[in-house]
Amino acid sequence: MINVDDLLDYTSFTVDREAHIVLDPAHCAACSHRYCTTTCPARCYAWSEKDRKMSFVHDGCLECGTCYAVCDSHAFARWRYPRGGFGVSYRMT
Amino acid sequence: MKRSFEAIVVGAGPAGATAALTLARAGVDVALVERGAHPGEKNMFGGVLHRMPALERVFPDFWDRAPLQRHLVKKVLTFMTPGRSLNLEYETESFDRAPYNGYTVFRPHFDRWLAGEAARAGATLLTRCTVEGVVREGGKVAGITVLRGAGELRAPVVIAADGVLSFTAASAGLRRPRFDPGQLGLGVKALLELPKEVIDDRFGLVRDQGASREFVGSSSGVRGGGFLYTNYDSLSAGMVLHLDSLRRSGRTPYDLFNAFLAQPQVAKLVRGARLLEYSAHLIPEGGYRMMPELCGDGILVAGDAAAFCYAKGPNLEGINLAAQSGACAAEAVLEARQAGDWSARRLAGYRRRLEATFVLQDLRTFHRAGELLEIDRLYGDYPELICDFMDRMYRIDGAPKQSLLKMGLAMARKKVGTANLVRDGWTTWSTI
Ligand SMILES: Cc1cc2nc3c(=O)[nH]c(=O)nc-3n(C[C@H](O)[C@H](O)[C@H](O)COP(=O)(O)OP(=O)(O)OC[C@H]3O[C@@H](n4cnc5c(N)ncnc54)[C@H](O)[C@@H]3O)c2cc1C
Ligand code: SF4
Ligand code: SF4
Repeated sequence: MINVDDLLDYTSFTVDREAHIVLDPAHCAACSHRYCTTTCPARCYAWSEKDRKMSFVHDGCLECGTCYAVCDSHAFARWRYPRGGFGVSYRMT
Repeated sequence: MKRSFEAIVVGAGPAGATAALTLARAGVDVALVERGAHPGEKNMFGGVLHRMPALERVFPDFWDRAPLQRHLVKKVLTFMTPGRSLNLEYETESFDRAPYNGYTVFRPHFDRWLAGEAARAGATLLTRCTVEGVVREGGKVAGITVLRGAGELRAPVVIAADGVLSFTAASAGLRRPRFDPGQLGLGVKALLELPKEVIDDRFGLVRDQGASREFVGSSSGVRGGGFLYTNYDSLSAGMVLHLDSLRRSGRTPYDLFNAFLAQPQVAKLVRGARLLEYSAHLIPEGGYRMMPELCGDGILVAGDAAAFCYAKGPNLEGINLAAQSGACAAEAVLEARQAGDWSARRLAGYRRRLEATFVLQDLRTFHRAGELLEIDRLYGDYPELICDFMDRMYRIDGAPKQSLLKMGLAMARKKVGTANLVRDGWTTWSTI
């Protein structure tokens, strides 16, 4: 069974302090679907209804591009791959 | 660091490495630029490397050199519903000897090996370099910029082989700036460790024989399917989910994946396995319709970056198209180099070369297969219908039997309705 909360236990990352994906929160507050929260395979996006706020953590990002493709509101102030040598590091797969 | 080359290839996946290898062997001073700490570090796929004519030409002893897991002798297609399944199994002796028809591989090993071969042939391999975009000079592409550190690299021609999102092709204005989730698939995969003997037993294999298993009807109604491939002492288990169907379903990829692994027919194959790695990647599923401009002044696009992939035929194929297109791009560059002309018009020889190979021919053949796969009934009603039918055929319970054809038609009409049946039958007929 896959538990994405334990992702860092079995997939390796060299986390960059500087995030490679940066959101503009205003877009997310106004977004009608928040597809990123369900489609991201690493659950990097979490929406809090109470605070009406999106939290995004780039640490466990698998660099798959799904959020980039499903977001139709241009919510990204930045979306690029991590700089060389950082990010996910597959050993086998 | 040296700052100018005769050619630059962005991305050391199978498309880029094959292009760089071909150029280096022809004596071109080429740089192969990769963002990973080593080639393959960022790459995942399902697990089947199909036969690679482009590489077999370069390495006649390909299967002895490349880091391969098992060669495939058995292909199983399963239609399933919770608790029931119909397997179509094909096994052939001829897949059990060279030239093998396909292998399972690990991308971090395979891509590293292939890019290493390009470097041994004389290409300059630059890792840990994330390319930001192209540099232009007088309207022509004249190089690339690398994020932080390395700065600018120059060459009269660039091959964008940086995968499905290809920011290089985007920055050169060759692909549309936005993606259509209807043209993408999301793949998630788990690498599961199991002893070799257990795998041999469960899949009926000996020596380095391997099996591939694909599952339709296993994705809880979301368009897509599951797969299981045997590596030497691990299994590659995963799912490919149509991104538009997935987002509309409101389901998460890992929940669907866990539900797939929990189905009894799959659970008994993966029982006791230890999770080694979890990965995810997008697949360009749009085929012909998704293809960007293939060349511009001083630039060519190859592999997934050009949407040369099909998830819609009987096999999921991408690596073989990537390698072949990389080789074609390199040949077009060699031709342009001889003429000393890097214009789009001269580089258009690339498309002609692709037209002459399986890359564009297959893409065209499967051009309309998408419509078939857009029938949502394929992922729920039809697998159920098939299993219902098999059940009625095999179950002995004292009830009198009907002719199979009559029974089948009556069941199909009841399950999906005559109109849908005719419509789907027509779509199938006209697309395959
Ligand atoms: C789940 C899944 C299952 C699949 N199963 C199969 C299968 O069984 N068989 C098969 O043949 N195909 C399969 N495919 C398809 C196959 O993986 C691709 O078609 C193939 O990898 C494409 O090769 P490529 O070289 O074009 O791109 P990629 O393999 O994506 O390589 C691109 C390279 O460019 C690098 N890169 C990207 N951006 C930059 C940048 N800005 N700067 C520097 N470097 C960069 C990347 O790190 C990477 O090394 C599958 C794909 C997925 C996602
Ligand atoms: S889909 Fe885009 S705009 Fe909507 S919540 Fe996600 S990132 Fe924000
Ligand atoms: S790139 Fe993929 S893994 Fe990373 S945040 Fe986006 S959807 Fe999640």
